Amino acid sequence: MNEHRRQILQMLSDGKVSADEAERLISAVEEPSAGRSSENVSDSAAKARPKYLRVQVDSENDDGHEGPTKVNVRVPMQLLRAGVKLAGLIPQQALRRANDAIHEKGIPFDLSQIKPENLEELIEQLNDLSVDVDQKDHATKVKVRVFCE
Amino acid sequence: MIPFVAVVSLRGRESRTLRVWIPLILLWLLLVPLVVLLSPLIFIGCLACGLNPLRAFSVGWQILLALHDTEVEIEHRSAGVSICVF
Repeated sequence: MNEHRRQILQMLSDGKVSADEAERLISAVEEPSAGRSSENVSDSAAKARPKYLRVQVDSENDDGHEGPTKVNVRVPMQLLRAGVKLAGLIPQQALRRANDAIHEKGIPFDLSQIKPENLEELIEQLNDLSVDVDQKDHATKVKVRVFCE
Repeated sequence: MIPFVAVVSLRGRESRTLRVWIPLILLWLLLVPLVVLLSPLIFIGCLACGLNPLRAFSVGWQILLALHDTEVEIEHRSAGVSICVF
């Protein structure tokens, strides 16, 4: 029982307020915290379950010959989950060759580490992921956004 | 949910858009007997590659289900392509 509620009940027992007034006071004290907690629950639920991974690319050529190029991809998270499971089916020999090719490009990444057991953690981390890349050279301006929604 | 329809939009240089609705449900209905007929071959192929056929089928089915709501759009001044799966 919190302090406010205890004080109101004390006032009621002392006869300082009526039962109706006490009820109104208690509901007034409890409403904001209840509202906040339900808001927090809904916030965390929405945050916990992103449905899509979105990739947006805007590319523009300053010379005006090519015109802007826009790419907009929306991938359901379920497809990512299924994709990781599919990666789990890749035979070891093919996985080694893919890993070698990745390492040759200088990317320190091991495909064999992507396992269905780690999948939920990966998806959970993607929730907070937002990548914004702005690149501008003499002729082209590229903007890439990767985020979950 | 299994995807029922795919909408493919193609835009050419003259800004004319061609929108094609592909009823995927018909495609699935056509493919099911074919998959059933070919299942012994698929089974043997999976075993030859060292894959668990049931696991491969399960993952394939999950990918099929997950295609629902996928959207890809590429827009350029001269052309545009959009594929939406519902």
